[in-house]
Amino acid sequence: MVTLTIAMRSLLRRKVRMVLIGLLVVLGTMLIVIGETFSLSVKQSSKSAIVNYFTGDLIIYSERAKDNPSPFSFTTPLPVVPDPHRIEEWLASHPMVEKHVAIAQNYGLLSIEKQGNKYEVPFIFYAVDPKQYRAAFPNISVEEGRFYDTDGGGPEAGVVLSAFQKENYAKNYSVNVEPGDAVTLLSLSDGGSVNAVPSRLVGIYKPKYYTNVFNYINFLDIKSYARLYNFTGVDASSMPESFNRALASESDDDIFGLAGSFESGLDTKNLVSRELSGYTMIVVKLKNPADATAFTGEITRQNSGVKVATWSEASGFFAYISRIIQAVIYGATFLIFLIVVFILMNTLIISVLERTGEIGTLRAMGAEKSFITAVFLWESFLLNGAAALCGMVVSIVLVATIGGGEGILLPDIIQQYLTGGGGIRLLVTVRPFAEALAIIIIVSLLATIYPIKVATAVTPLKAMTGN
Amino acid sequence: MPEAHVIELSDVRKEYLLGQTRVEALRGVSLTVDKGEFIAIAGPSGSGKSTILNMIGCIDTPTGGRVIINGRDIRGMSDKALTRYRRVTVSFIFQSFNLIPVLDVYENIELPLLLQKISDVKERRQRVMHFIEETGLADRLKNKPGELSGGQRQRVAIARALVTKPVLVLADEPTANLDSATGGRILDLMSEINAREGTTFVFSTHDQKIMEHARRLVRIHDGLISGDEVKGA
Ligand SMILES: Nc1ncnc2c1ncn2[C@@H]1O[C@H](COP(=O)(O)OP(=O)(O)O)[C@@H](O)[C@H]1O
Ligand SMILES: [Mg+2]
Repeated sequence: MVTLTIAMRSLLRRKVRMVLIGLLVVLGTMLIVIGETFSLSVKQSSKSAIVNYFTGDLIIYSERAKDNPSPFSFTTPLPVVPDPHRIEEWLASHPMVEKHVAIAQNYGLLSIEKQGNKYEVPFIFYAVDPKQYRAAFPNISVEEGRFYDTDGGGPEAGVVLSAFQKENYAKNYSVNVEPGDAVTLLSLSDGGSVNAVPSRLVGIYKPKYYTNVFNYINFLDIKSYARLYNFTGVDASSMPESFNRALASESDDDIFGLAGSFESGLDTKNLVSRELSGYTMIVVKLKNPADATAFTGEITRQNSGVKVATWSEASGFFAYISRIIQAVIYGATFLIFLIVVFILMNTLIISVLERTGEIGTLRAMGAEKSFITAVFLWESFLLNGAAALCGMVVSIVLVATIGGGEGILLPDIIQQYLTGGGGIRLLVTVRPFAEALAIIIIVSLLATIYPIKVATAVTPLKAMTGN
Repeated sequence: MPEAHVIELSDVRKEYLLGQTRVEALRGVSLTVDKGEFIAIAGPSGSGKSTILNMIGCIDTPTGGRVIINGRDIRGMSDKALTRYRRVTVSFIFQSFNLIPVLDVYENIELPLLLQKISDVKERRQRVMHFIEETGLADRLKNKPGELSGGQRQRVAIARALVTKPVLVLADEPTANLDSATGGRILDLMSEINAREGTTFVFSTHDQKIMEHARRLVRIHDGLISGDEVKGA
């Protein structure tokens, strides 16, 4: 094939030039592969951090809820999940489920007496079964005392505060709390009906990930929680919705609404007695996250009174910030490759246009455009193909070395949103390589065909003489 | 009616724009070339000799008048048809040779056959070797153009032009870059082939001695034909 011969020898003849273009392609390929790998890895690690430390793959919550459930939000507690123990039993025996835990989210006051002074301090909490929660979300490191946990030999009930919360009490309320302190839990209600439940501070913990959020989250055993908010033996689903909302919340309006429903008559014969816990969501981690859709269907078919949110629906504002950061990273990567593509395109186009004279000679000899195009495409593919391959090999090595271990470290404020803290580990996937290859092929094609069109649009004489 | 002319120029004009000024390279040239002719186009530098050859070879377009190949006006011809004309009917010997620098002597001469898609390797080899012998390049087969003297490059250009056995060979000042002895031999070679194969030759020159080789002498001055004589009749 004479086109290949001409192409190869032309490349060798202009060695220095071709090496420079080759290096540009190597660099361009690397930028695309590494940029895209970084973007994809950020997306993946952000997802898995949220799934692993906050939401699980799916969240089961009450069908009566108006808003999406959110483990990040404490201001609008959801209606309670009906029959949570039955659902948990069902989950425990389901082959697709890896872990599950029921969570009640709420806030209240801690009343503490120290040296004759009485302090009332606010606290936000998750009320959870400790064993299940810590198995599903390995995010807790106990610093002082113990977690309430009868199986692990700990106390049966009590409050676990975050270390940050403890510091905050010292700073803002001048009260120094320690494990062992007796506390009184107060349900927070401006309406006047305050419950007081005696309890004890049993431990102080530090979150490992998402410290920005978990610093404000404390833990409470579910029995104390149920007493605090009056989850006694009436099935919430058999009550009017206004009741249920009032129980799960502590807003004045709902309390007044509750009184209103009494007046309109509550038929006590319809009430079903059942043990209630006040759980507002049940988080499910699947063995295979790809089962999420199928499993969602099964949950709603097999369990009445609940609906299901995915991790992304449940991650609310936090995931929104994460997505914005990801978009910025993606945008920056995209900008880099636009610039790379632009420079590469220009260089390649110029290197063909420089040879307009040669193209004119071939045309004067009666060469078809297809012949000329073949010569230049060979050149382009031999050079750019080899360079793109080099770029990919170098990229793999780089991704493996800088992206392994701790991964790429970003400022902590950004890491908090992206991974909950910790670097971005780069994942080697096929996609960035396929994309880089596709871009190099398209750029090579365009940057060859376009200048040939230009060079063959004029008469062969003009091409040869360059006017 | 006799066979159509190989080529016919009818009142051909060519203008170039050099900045704001208009340069009239050809101001109405009419000329016919018939098969087997051996024509010199003579005139001083800048008189329009190259421009005439470019019109005949269809590597440039006139700004006025008609160029007719085998009875067909080129204005009505597709780019493909013109490309075919350049590939099959006519061959150019450029003043600056315009060899392909990355190909050696053998490959440069073989290239037009490859462009014509002659796939028979033996036939190609025979034809290339024939013209290599003819032009005395047998000991230079593997050399690249950059390793050859001016006279040798001119001979490669001639072999490359002849190897396709074209109807018409156009040579733009084929001896201008050569010493007179070498130039003389080149011209002898062309006229020999003209006599033996019946190949039509049109070449330009401003060299008095070279003109004498021609059997027909077309004189050009300032873009106009000032004389057209057939000698030795
Ligand atoms: N590309 C061009 N642009 C402008 N003027 C040109 C161009 N080519 C030729 N000319 C002008 O046209 C005239 C004829 O040129 P040419 O045919 O090359 O003359 P010759 O070959 O007889 O020396 C000259 O005046 C030359 O300057
Ligand atoms: Mg000239």
